[in-house]
Amino acid sequence: MSRNNGMDRRQLLKLAGLSAAGLGLTAAGCGSGGSGSGGPVTIRHSWWGADDRAKKVQSCVALFEKKHPKIKVKTDFQQYPDFWKKFNTQAAGGNPPDVIQNAVTFLRKYEAKNVLLDLTPQAEKGNLDLGGFRSGLEKFAEIDGKLLGVPVGSNSMALVIDEKVYEKAGIAPEIGWTWDDWLAGLEKIKRGQKIAGDAGPHGVMYLYDLILRQNGKAFFTEDGMGFGEAELLPYWTEALGRVKSGLYADPGKVEQIKPASATAKGLSAGEFTWDNFSVRYSAEGGSSYGLAPIPSTDGKKTGQYLGSLMLSGTARTKHPAEVATFISFMTHDPEVARIMGYDRGVPATTAQFEAYEPSDAPSKAIGAYETAIADAGVLEPITPHPAGADVIEAAFLRIGADLSLGKASPKDAVKQFFSEAKTALASN
Amino acid sequence: MTHIHTSPGVLAPGDDRSVAKRNGPGGNAPPAAERPDRRENLAGYLFMSPWIAGFLFLIAGPMVFSLYLSFTEYNLFEAPRWIGLQNFTDMFADPRWRQSVKVTSWYVLIGTPVKLAAALAVAMLLAQKRWGQSFYRAAFYAPSLIGASVSAAIVWRALFSDDALVDRTQKVFGVEAGGWIGDPAMIIYALIALTVWQFGAPMVIFLAGLKQVPRELYEAAEVDGAGPWRRFFHITLPMISPVLFFNVLLETIHSFQIFGSAYIVSNGSCGPADATLVYTCYLYEQGFVNSRMGFASAMGWLLLVAVGLVTAVLFWSQKRWVHYEEGGR
Repeated sequence: MSRNNGMDRRQLLKLAGLSAAGLGLTAAGCGSGGSGSGGPVTIRHSWWGADDRAKKVQSCVALFEKKHPKIKVKTDFQQYPDFWKKFNTQAAGGNPPDVIQNAVTFLRKYEAKNVLLDLTPQAEKGNLDLGGFRSGLEKFAEIDGKLLGVPVGSNSMALVIDEKVYEKAGIAPEIGWTWDDWLAGLEKIKRGQKIAGDAGPHGVMYLYDLILRQNGKAFFTEDGMGFGEAELLPYWTEALGRVKSGLYADPGKVEQIKPASATAKGLSAGEFTWDNFSVRYSAEGGSSYGLAPIPSTDGKKTGQYLGSLMLSGTARTKHPAEVATFISFMTHDPEVARIMGYDRGVPATTAQFEAYEPSDAPSKAIGAYETAIADAGVLEPITPHPAGADVIEAAFLRIGADLSLGKASPKDAVKQFFSEAKTALASN
Repeated sequence: MTHIHTSPGVLAPGDDRSVAKRNGPGGNAPPAAERPDRRENLAGYLFMSPWIAGFLFLIAGPMVFSLYLSFTEYNLFEAPRWIGLQNFTDMFADPRWRQSVKVTSWYVLIGTPVKLAAALAVAMLLAQKRWGQSFYRAAFYAPSLIGASVSAAIVWRALFSDDALVDRTQKVFGVEAGGWIGDPAMIIYALIALTVWQFGAPMVIFLAGLKQVPRELYEAAEVDGAGPWRRFFHITLPMISPVLFFNVLLETIHSFQIFGSAYIVSNGSCGPADATLVYTCYLYEQGFVNSRMGFASAMGWLLLVAVGLVTAVLFWSQKRWVHYEEGGR
């Protein structure tokens, strides 16, 4: 190599170094934007849901910015599965949004990865009000002494029914009815009206969790599965029998009408789902739809608990105080409840619960249902969900569908499910 | 690829490379010319540096890293853990992985030939002189411009859903089968139809190839009494075989990489019942949903090797059926 060449190379390196430094400077300039004293602070909030939820959240954010002029909120939303894919990537890259909508399935997963913000210090400083939550929701997202989220609304599993079909069959479900009553009802409906009684509940993880809890077990333990092949094999074998005999809806048709619901499309007289989902049925279908309680084994214990959407902060945030202020506003401000309605479930605080009087029939039914199960005293604490629960839930649903479509025998389906669950628990 | 040039045989492969070699560093150019050459080269490298940096940081770097990751367990958040070949052994034991290989192979084996046949058929129609020809060419090419887009896949989903256009048309003919999208046995054909519909790119290449076939050959054959089929199999096909080879190669590789349309048409589920679980869809699910980046990387490398093998077989086979004009190869 000649000397000349060496010089050139050094110059080249210098040039490269300079431009790299320049890039670094701009990046630093961007990162520090607006933090510190005085100036407005910008936090990012993202959630999953459809357009109507986005409009509601944005109205709440506008109201928040008016009341807290020094905090700006940048918003972003996706559909449920896309939301978590994006969040995973953002969080792994160290750039997650400051406040996210969250659910219990994801708490341990992201706690194990140090992604979520412990809100306890902010509550102690008074930035986050933890008073006034409805019973069953006070310590909802506390894990290992850390407060990882605050519930914005509550929901519970229910049986959504086509009221016209149930009436015609002369079935009036009420709290205290058993699985035998339910099954007898399905048979009566099929005999009398030639339609399936249920959409096929065997892929719904949250329902199976209730059934397990009624029998002294649970879907999950803190770090693994709370049941084994011995429980699942008879459950799925029985389900396949009911699919074949027409008690459960034709799975091929259920697949074809997706994302519409089977009950709304008249394929079945009912299906198990979250009570606040019932709002969509009257929009999708032509009948009238109501909420029936979860059947139980002994006529008493339903295994039910309040599930909930919550808001969480993320640990990398530079503005924990503002994050807490925003979450507190979203959970307590009565005006927020009037805007959101029951979109994310029944409001979690009494202040918000009382502020919103639903005027439409489905929302009224949801409010009445939650009051009824709370009064009946069937609510219990939620069972923990280990890291990987989200993947396991998706596998349960998918393999349940494979089973009813005849793609796998009950034995193979059960084996496949536990094999995937094991992988999910190990790799999350 | 020399055979797609308008005059085959003018430019031999490696021609441009050999020119670069003579002038480049380490070449055997005379020493007197070395200095200005070096300076020129430096300027060249400087101008290329954005591309080189992009290649290193966005392509080569990630590739090397993903090769490393394919031997690890990596969930994006914790440091990768070396597990040797376990990802690969897990893969072969995984029934869903086998399903993804099956679905992808089916898609490639059915979709590619049908798409090429459609492209060639339409190219032959459009090669004839007739009124409004350029309009037809544009009209047939248009789907390929928008075909790869998300919006086309969404339209496809709307067309083939339950109670949508295709379903209603079926009903007119008394077929009450429901939409194709929710039917595990049919949805893959909706995807194949989507790829066939986007035949514009190979069609244009076929068109260029057809234009190169000397008219005299057809005239001579006609004089000898050869019918249209004979002319097609004995003149057209052999004469355009280099173009055909190019299209087969490109479309096969392209088909292996199907992702967007499968993902969107199945609404992000690659279902129902894993019926549209194409290889890349499963790779994506393992990586970004199940947080198994190591496994996903291993899958990616296996796909690369598989596509490489298929390409090699195609190149090997061309000796038997691709006819280059003298000097072309």
